Amino acid sequence: MNVHALRFRISVWHAFLLAGALTLNGILTYTIVRHYLIKGLSISVEYHARTIGEKLLANYAARGEEYLNNELSERYAAEIYPRFIRVTRKDGRVLYQSTSPADLGFNPALLSVPKGPFTGGYLRTETFPNGHHLQIYTLPFTGPDGSWYLIESGRTFDTADQVLRRLLWALAVGLPTLVGVSLLGGNLFMKQALKPLEDIERYAERISSTTQSEPMPIPESGDEVERLARSLNRMLARLDETFQRSNRFSADVSHELRTPLTILRGELEEAVRRQGVPELLDSVASALEETDRLQMIVDHLLEISRLDERKGLRERVRLDLGDMARTTTEQMRLLAEVKSVEVRYVVSEGVEVEGDPLYLKQAIVNLVDNAIKYAPMGGWVEVRVASGDHIGILEISDNGPGIPSEALPFLFDRFYRADRARSRDTGGVGLGLAIVKAICSAHAAEIKVFSQEPHGSRFRTEFPLAGTKSDLRSIHNRAR
Amino acid sequence: MRLLLIEDEPKVANFVSRGLTAERFAVDVARDGNTGLEFSRSYEYDLIILDLMLPIIDGSEVLRAIRSRNTDVPILILSARGALEDKVHHFEAGADDYLTKPFSFAELVVRVKALLRRGPITRSSTVRIADLELDRLSQRVKRAGRRLELTSKEYSLLEYLMTNPGRVFSRNMIIEHVWDQSFDGLTNIVDVYVRHLRSKVDDGHTRKLILTVRGVGYSIDNAAEP
Repeated sequence: MNVHALRFRISVWHAFLLAGALTLNGILTYTIVRHYLIKGLSISVEYHARTIGEKLLANYAARGEEYLNNELSERYAAEIYPRFIRVTRKDGRVLYQSTSPADLGFNPALLSVPKGPFTGGYLRTETFPNGHHLQIYTLPFTGPDGSWYLIESGRTFDTADQVLRRLLWALAVGLPTLVGVSLLGGNLFMKQALKPLEDIERYAERISSTTQSEPMPIPESGDEVERLARSLNRMLARLDETFQRSNRFSADVSHELRTPLTILRGELEEAVRRQGVPELLDSVASALEETDRLQMIVDHLLEISRLDERKGLRERVRLDLGDMARTTTEQMRLLAEVKSVEVRYVVSEGVEVEGDPLYLKQAIVNLVDNAIKYAPMGGWVEVRVASGDHIGILEISDNGPGIPSEALPFLFDRFYRADRARSRDTGGVGLGLAIVKAICSAHAAEIKVFSQEPHGSRFRTEFPLAGTKSDLRSIHNRAR
Repeated sequence: MRLLLIEDEPKVANFVSRGLTAERFAVDVARDGNTGLEFSRSYEYDLIILDLMLPIIDGSEVLRAIRSRNTDVPILILSARGALEDKVHHFEAGADDYLTKPFSFAELVVRVKALLRRGPITRSSTVRIADLELDRLSQRVKRAGRRLELTSKEYSLLEYLMTNPGRVFSRNMIIEHVWDQSFDGLTNIVDVYVRHLRSKVDDGHTRKLILTVRGVGYSIDNAAEP
């Protein structure tokens, strides 16, 4: 699990959703504001048209053209309100037309008087070449004396446009800012919230690569993370208990088997000593050989259990991995010689690790024995010792047939055999690599196997270098 | 020679006492720690074989009790616990040797005899069996007067077999003596080395000195000259 990836994912989703919601909200706001602005404009121009009709034109006949001009100029001075007012008589004569507004936004003279027939007041929009819009209400009006006029009252969209433009600006700047701020805040908050998860991750890595089993620290946050940590702890405790129990069981079984094995062995050996019927002797000898195998299985199982119980290491001393690999392999030289297998050494000097010499030696013996077994007649086995980043590397390779990829995950399991028929011939009991694995775990070492049929196998073990044993994290970092 | 065997498992006690009797030892068997302790107080034994898991009084207790009264008698521990700490612990408590179950009877006999021979061991530098001669000082081996070229492992192997002619050595005994415990479980290593040693020692001679006892191990023939 990568917490950083999770944090990134949540942040991106959060930003996406937030941006989407804000955009939608912006569009809605814009649409509604625009609608109300236009509606307000329409109501306003209609109102003014009707007012002109009812308040001024009703008196036009009595008071004359002068009055109308004065009143209109006074009420609707274009210099003050960028409005358009025009009153036309039935014969087409314009009684009043407002002048250009102060900002010269539009020129009223450019607007032609609409032609009839008119059935009532209506709204229309005029666009000027310079881009200004005008909302105009056109009202046919019949005065009390029966005379007919056409009143046009208009107003530019300028104010509305300005409001809308500002709104758009506010949205365009505000939205990314909001998203950014919330992303940053969310990320910080999430980092805080996920920190316990990171702790759990670190803890889990530590226990999976070492044999420690102390409970993980519980964050007192009272949230899901605390609950997760608690249930993980319960699970670990149960697992540990199961593990210990099965380990205990395997140790007990091995232990209990020892007495009957002793008896079996003793009786069979005595039968051999008595030198009875030759055929019988043969059977007894065969039974003895099988007793040997049983004994080996029992011994090895007990060894693994003891190592797994974390009390396996009898001592920890500083030793030279290269020296040990070389001298140990030398003691098995004849095994290679009878198969004409060449043993090569690629050994760096001074690679020092800390460990139990007998166990480390046993791991080397098992790996080398394995390699010699699988190397073909006249083949080779390579023993390589090198140091890496805080680690001592021991690699045993052979040019044998390799290991089927489907067998690789189970290779270190107890009693697992990639090639059953063959390993029985060579006398193995299927525990050699399980022991190696247990020895490595007890030394906080990692073991990996690289193999590809038919190009041989390479077993690689990585031990913490001596003096850096407390610095286990560096290994984990590297492995990550 | 009188031995005391303190072992609660009847069948183990049975075959061990039978086998040791066949080796011309007098064997008393005690089935629990208490009886064993009483026996050890009543007779002067030449050697005591003590199982650790005993009813009534635990083997470790028995060991301490015997040692507190009698500092001389050799004590050989039998145990199903093979851990090294256990061994060290009991050696410190006064055990002279330690054998882990399941053990080979041949090994038990070799160890018993070794313990009885204790004291200043006068080992002559040259060991001779038939026309095979091994010189411990110069580490030279001759057969019928002709020198044999042996590797160091082959030499250790032969020397070990020759310490006790006629005795059968199990593969595990050989591994632990010539190699070490780390090579346990690698029993075919013994077979391979013995085969090589045999070809050097016995090839071209009518009398074969290195014998295989199938299912048990190897030995050096010490029968009288034909």
